[in-house]
Parts: sequence; C-alpha cells; structure tokens
Amino acid sequence: MSSNNTKPRTQMFDSEAIRQIESEKKRWEQETVKNNEAEKEYYSDSGIPIKLLYTPDDIKDLDYLSDLGFSGESPYVRGIYPNMYRGRLFTVRQIAGYGTPEDTNDRFKFLLKNGATGTSVVLDLPTIRGYDSDDPEAEGHVGAAGVAIDSLEDVEALYDGIPVDEVSSNIVTHLPSTTVVIMAMFVVMAEKRGIPLEKLSGTNQNDFLMETTIGSSLEVLPPRACFRLQCDAIEYASKNLPRWNPVSYNGYNLREAGTTAVQEVAVALANAIATSEELIRRGNKIDDFAKRLSFFWNLFNDFFEEIAKCRASRLVYQEIMRDRFHAKHAKSQLMRFHVQTAGITLTKVEPLNNIARSAIQGLAAVLGGAQSLHIDSYDEAYSAPTEESALISIRTQQILQVETNVTNTVDPLAGSYYIESLTKEIANRIREYIALIESKGGLVSCVESGWLHREIADFAYQTQQDIESGQRKIVGLNYFPTEGNKTQVNVFRYPEDAERKQKEKLRKLRERRDNTKVEQTLNMIRQKCHEDINLMPYIKEAVAAYATLGEIEEVFRQEFGLWQFPLA
Amino acid sequence: MGDKKIKVIMTKLGLDIHWRGALVVSRMLRDEGMEVVFLGNQFPEQIVNAAIQEGADVVGLSTLGGNHLTLGPKVVQLLREKGMDDVLVLMGGVIPEEDFPALKAAGIAEIFGPETRIGDIANFIRKEVGKIIA
Repeated sequence: MSSNNTKPRTQMFDSEAIRQIESEKKRWEQETVKNNEAEKEYYSDSGIPIKLLYTPDDIKDLDYLSDLGFSGESPYVRGIYPNMYRGRLFTVRQIAGYGTPEDTNDRFKFLLKNGATGTSVVLDLPTIRGYDSDDPEAEGHVGAAGVAIDSLEDVEALYDGIPVDEVSSNIVTHLPSTTVVIMAMFVVMAEKRGIPLEKLSGTNQNDFLMETTIGSSLEVLPPRACFRLQCDAIEYASKNLPRWNPVSYNGYNLREAGTTAVQEVAVALANAIATSEELIRRGNKIDDFAKRLSFFWNLFNDFFEEIAKCRASRLVYQEIMRDRFHAKHAKSQLMRFHVQTAGITLTKVEPLNNIARSAIQGLAAVLGGAQSLHIDSYDEAYSAPTEESALISIRTQQILQVETNVTNTVDPLAGSYYIESLTKEIANRIREYIALIESKGGLVSCVESGWLHREIADFAYQTQQDIESGQRKIVGLNYFPTEGNKTQVNVFRYPEDAERKQKEKLRKLRERRDNTKVEQTLNMIRQKCHEDINLMPYIKEAVAAYATLGEIEEVFRQEFGLWQFPLA
Repeated sequence: MGDKKIKVIMTKLGLDIHWRGALVVSRMLRDEGMEVVFLGNQFPEQIVNAAIQEGADVVGLSTLGGNHLTLGPKVVQLLREKGMDDVLVLMGGVIPEEDFPALKAAGIAEIFGPETRIGDIANFIRKEVGKIIA
C-alpha cells in the first residue's frame, strides 16, 4: 500500500467536462425544472440539505486514489477487507438473553442450529447495574430483558456446550464496571475448560457513556472511574486476548436516546480518541491496542444517509488513527463495526410493518459494509422477541446474504454523485462535532458537565415535536394512521421462576465457597482501586474464588463513590 | 383548580435505564403548562416519599424492562398506605396490553404505549386531576 502523500492526484473529471455539466445543469434548472412552484427544502435526518439532483460537479474535488481508493486499503471508505463479503459474509448475530443462564443457553443453541454464526447475550438490568439477583433492588428485574448473571457458575452454565473457541461470543456488557467482572468470568471459564486465551473471540460493549450518559440509573459511578475501568478492560485484552474486541464504542444507544447520525459517530469517535490518549499515557503503543477496537452503529430509515454514515465513519477513523496517533499497522486504522437496526423506529401499530423497516435498515448495513448485523424483530415495541420473530430476523439476514446478490461486489454505491457527496458532507460534520467536544475539554468533561446529556435530550425532544406536528411522518402512526389496531402479537413472557432459581443458586454458592478467600480477594480490589494500575488481574482472582458480580461492584461503589447524572 | 399548576413527578421505575421517553414526556408536559419534576431512576419507596414532599397530583412511571407488574402496583399500594389516595398514577413504556387489566385493577389510572401523543396524556391528566380536585 502506498502512502497517501506519494499517490498521484487522480481527479475523476476534467475541468472542461465539469464546466459543461455545470452550465447544462443551469439550463436544465431554468428550462426543464422551472421554478413554477415554491421549492420546498429537503433535509436528511441529520439536517443535511439535500439537492434535487446531483452531478459530477458535486464531487469534482474528490481524488479517487486518496479519497476513495480500493477496499482493504487506505482510506478504507470502500470497505476494510479487499474482498469484503465474498471473503466472509457479515456475522448473523442476533441478541438473546432472558431468564436464567440455563434458559438463555437453550436460546443460543436454537439460534446456532438455525444458522446464527455467533452468540450475543444481553444481561438483565440487575446484572447490567452490578446487583446480584438476591439484592432487594433486583426485585422484579431478574431474568427480564436479559439473562441474570451473578457468578462464575452462571457464566459456565450460559456457555455450557457452546464451543467458545469456535463461535464468537458477543457480551452486551454495557457498563465498564460490569464488563471488567463478566469479562474476567468469561476468561476464567475458558481457562477452566482448557481453552487457550488466544482462541477466544468476541466482543464486550464496555462503553463508559452507557454507565454515565445513556444508561443513567441509580448509583452510577463517576465518569472518570467508569472511563478508567473501560481502559483497564481494553488494556488487559490487548495483552492477553488477541482476538477479543474489548470495546464496542457504542453509537447505537446514543442514537436510540437521541442523537443525529452525525453525532452518533462523532461521540463514539471522541470516545476512541479519549481512550487512545489514556492508554498511551499508561505507556501502551497505539498499535498494541488499536487493532481490536470496534464500533456499534444504529441504522435508521434514512437509507442513503445511513450508508454514507458508515462510509464516512471509516474515513474519519482512519484519519484519526493515522494522522493523530500515527498508527502504523493497517489493522489499527480500519474500523470494524456491528450494526443493529433501530429499535426506536419500530411501531406498535401494525407491527408487521416493522419487518419492512428492519429489512431496509439491514440492507443499508450491508451496503455500508458492516461486519456483523442484528436485525430487530417486529415485536420489539411489545416485548423481547419470541422464537418466531427472532427466526424472521435471522431469515431476513439470510435473504440479504444469499438471495439478493447485494454481497457480490464491494461498496456498490461508490461513485454515486449523491452517496459520495453525502459521505463527504457527513465526514466534515463528524470532524466538526469532534472538534466541538474537544473544545469543551474532551468527552469525559462533556459527560461530567452534562453537556452531552443536554445535546441528546434536546434532539429527542425535537424529534417528538416533529412527530406530533406531523413533520416527521411514520406510516400507520401519523401517516395513514391505523384504524382499530387489532394485530395479534404473540408476546414473549419472561420465565417467572428465574428470580427464585437465581436466589437459590446464590444461597448455595455462598455456603459452598471459601468465604475467607472471597473477602481477601475483594479487599485486594478495594486497595488497588486507588492505585494507577490495571484492576483486571485482581478482579479475575476474585471471580475465580466465586466472588459475585454484586460483591465486586459494591467495592467499586464504596471506593469510587456515586455520581448523580446531570439530567433534568 | 384556579391558578395552581398541576404537579407531576416523573420517574424511571427501578433499574430500567431507557430515559428518553420519560424525559421527553416531562418536557412536553411542561410545555402543556404543568409543573414537572423529573427524578430519574427511583424505587417505589423513594417515589412515594418524593410525591409526598412535592405534593404531587400525578406520578408518572416509565418502564421498558419488564418490571411493570411488580413495581407499578407497589407504588399505588405505598401511596394508599400513606393516605395519598388522590394521587393519579400513570404508566408508560413498553408494556404488553394483556397486562393492562391487572395494572388497572391494582390502581394504575392509565397506561400509555410508546406511540401516544403527549397532548393526549396532558388531556387525560387535566380531566382526571380535575375530577379529583373537584
């Protein structure tokens, strides 16, 4: 791969042709389009003005070799692998998680049997928040909206019979404080099975914004403590788990909470910048850890904007890694991302329409070059997916993979005057928003001050106003509203006995384990919280002694203190 | 009711972390002329204490994570134990319709799904709070 500076300029159009096109376009506007009616202005969902028609004039400054290039080479706009889906189709990664670990293990096996190529687990709220199933605050939440994980024995049950050295494991540990514990449990589980750590492949979400901004909840750790744990997990994995993605910078939930497509990417990239700076401060080299950083995007219905967003995100990330951090390895400069289709765009009225919405969003993900995909199920506005609706989501992915031929060629929309122009505009806006965050002291400071919370809340509020006023149209809701919505939806019910079963397991565990050993390991973590060192090795010792998630989290809460998120 | 503004306490129920809906509803009820206190995540005891302290007319509970059947009725029950029978308790979020009858039987006045117009919530509150105060 030649470096950027040595590439010849390769403008795609000669200036005489552009001049002719420009002048002909003016004529076309005057003679054919005519301005006989007041021209309405059109905008993308992120507020980018959209023209009636795009021509080569809109991309006349694009230089093919340096701005587009080829797939698998700088600047990666056209995709991170040379042969993209011909070499490897995107991973069909549907989320599962409910009830006890044993319940979710059954769902994993059902999905794998039907063609899922990786597992993805979502945790129940007490687990996400770091409470054990027998904590009073967990009441009513155990095994709902995710699986309950309390100790190493639960992680062992969750992956029982699943070949974690062959099938990749995505673990939706939103919060860094949960990530460090569950990740340690996963590693100890693998070690006990005799699996070499270099064979483990998977992803933790591990994003401090989930703890402090998006998943704001009771008893949040302060932003700097969350951020430190996020970095601890990344640093540990870079040294011990060469195939593990220790972070999935989470644009998805930012978008669900209320950002534009541009802000979604910019904030996640600002997080990657902050993390890289911190890990370098700790003495790591960029190429030691940047190879396994991954991203998580949310694709809404604005089809072309979302495709352009995916392309622009790869472009800007590459600039950051190459020019700002001087990453040398190609892998450190390329952005790998998972896509989940947009839950918040799904409607409760006429829920089967959601299959169409999700399929279109999934198609955008494929045209945008995603590495893995979750397609939301049509019943999301009712409950967690049933087996039936989850299967439709898998089938939608498979239809995209083998029936539509959209995976046959790389980045098929490249060269479209519109897509290229939009990609460039979105990239510019992402750069500007990152600069804005940095002008406010960087991402951690923007969280501490509540600035980021306000940005999100303002956009969410504006969106709702636009829906109520009818300016933003939603089929079946405010556009041809459904009359007498009587679609029967088979609602998924969480197993009711999960709480009882988990409590019983915990009671037995606390009797059986060496409680003195547990105390010792917890005290060690307590002490190390106040040193500028990585906590992962100490957490691993504690989980190996069967300390519970809740017990370790309580140490964090006591040592780091609690933070009231600035949301009003 | 005279000039007194209707006072609403809005909370996310328990550990449920999805705050977008609750926050947007809070802001829009403010636009409708109500006094809204957004408390973020709270458990039933704290919600009821806040309702007493603030002299709330309405308690809005937002939930997505599947805790509505346990924690929702508990708020109503605790309010009744404190003699706050007149407080209007509403729920919103992702709640299966087949659970509506049980929630209403437990004293939740109304349940609003994800696609409710905020104006409809405001009208319901004005009507019902008016009934109580009259």
